Amino acid sequence: MPLAFIRSLERDLTLKTKDFLLNLQEFFLFSMRAFFTMPKLRRYWRDFLDQATICGTESIPIVLVSAISIGSLMSIEVGNLLEEFGAKTMLGRSTSITVVRELGPLLMGLMLSARFGSRNGAELGAMQISEQIDALRAFGTDPIAKLVMPRLAAALVMFIPLVALSDFAGLQSAALLAINYHKLDPGIFWNAVYPRLAPKDFVVSFLKAPVFAIIITLVSSFNGFSAKGGTAGVGRSTIKGIVVSSGLVLVANFYVSKVVLENMK
Amino acid sequence: MIELRNVTLKYGDKEILKNVSLTVHDNTIKAILGPSGVGKSTILKLMLGLIKPNSGQVFVDGTDITPLRETELYPIRRKMGMVFQGNALFDSMTISQNLGFFLRENLKLPEKEVEERVSEQILFSGLEGYEDQLPENLSGGMRKRVAIGRALIFRPHMILFDEPTAGLDPVSSKRILGLISSLRQESNLGAVIVTHIIDDVFSTADHAAVLYQGEIIFDDKTENLHQADHPFIRSILSDKILEL
Repeated sequence: MPLAFIRSLERDLTLKTKDFLLNLQEFFLFSMRAFFTMPKLRRYWRDFLDQATICGTESIPIVLVSAISIGSLMSIEVGNLLEEFGAKTMLGRSTSITVVRELGPLLMGLMLSARFGSRNGAELGAMQISEQIDALRAFGTDPIAKLVMPRLAAALVMFIPLVALSDFAGLQSAALLAINYHKLDPGIFWNAVYPRLAPKDFVVSFLKAPVFAIIITLVSSFNGFSAKGGTAGVGRSTIKGIVVSSGLVLVANFYVSKVVLENMK
Repeated sequence: MIELRNVTLKYGDKEILKNVSLTVHDNTIKAILGPSGVGKSTILKLMLGLIKPNSGQVFVDGTDITPLRETELYPIRRKMGMVFQGNALFDSMTISQNLGFFLRENLKLPEKEVEERVSEQILFSGLEGYEDQLPENLSGGMRKRVAIGRALIFRPHMILFDEPTAGLDPVSSKRILGLISSLRQESNLGAVIVTHIIDDVFSTADHAAVLYQGEIIFDDKTENLHQADHPFIRSILSDKILEL
């Protein structure tokens, strides 16, 4: 009995590993095709503009809400902590570095993974199960060039201003709370912010934008393209897209910070 | 001309098509008949190169398409039009946009010519007044006519129909079959019709092939179906509709 159980476990594990590796290979080829079709951007400029509106302009409210809340929260909590050590004047420095390097881009990434990623997964998944993607292929149109590449290009372009907006809103809300809640002089707060922020902090912040754009767009689109099994299948593929892309955003956030901060003075 | 030569296709361990050979000549209508889930639609996807066989070859106008890459297949696919079972209309586009989509996308025709062809197709398919509607606002029969219009609009040599009358009421079915029959008379088109309704075969097709348990058990002129002595064919001739 235990031997049979171990054998079945081994078989399951082998099948799952094989499936995972095949999926990884397909994802790699899918991603390569999305990049190789970039020269067709001019042809699909309308799709690009539509996607830029969806992932850019329409995402501004959610990015602002998350940035303002985390900036305010950081200001209150870190301010309280610093007050215990009589170092409240350091509030500007600590919040700015945390918001600009980490929390601004990270929260934006997670919010866009939920918003833009779920939209991609659901829309492309529905197109897949209703054979619309097959129809594109059947009539001689490359579905990756038509559906994925404009999304990728739009995300690559729009995520950068969104990171800037997230950093800016986070810092402003932190300043507002520092001045009104902790009664800190605005001059003291801002003097601790700008002279302390080094170019590498902005490099970390803005480098995360294209990295997150690639992860979120390709993972969610790939899962949409792989949807099968009716409407429930679309749900499954959408969830998978969000979970995987959010996880990868967290991992990438750590490694981008680590690599840049270790290699830049 | 489309030819399947000794095609075998497996999904996992299950063999869907076993050494299938089939030829569809230009300017003829060939029906592929068989029970649901036997692999009829798969044959259409093989003809378009949407899937590749495990073994065997698929020729389109003399070119073996099995070793071709996706991008190399696009010009070959443009010789054929496909009407999907569920229509596969782009649900975010209006009827006019659906009809004109591939003209703008692949043929890059001047906008004036696209509009002229779309108007012609709207008229041919009897969809006047619905140009600006979304597919969701149309009946099943009308959606099917849009799907046929979309396949016809760029003037392919061959058109592939996947269950053209499935799920339609008798009046809509008759209209769709009439539309298919008129295609050859007016446009001299070849067609492949996949169906499980034997009446559709007799009313439209010159040739018929019967797919049973992954094998072609009949491939001849439609009228010769009556002379076939395979027990499955005898049973479908008496039952008319295959829901096995």
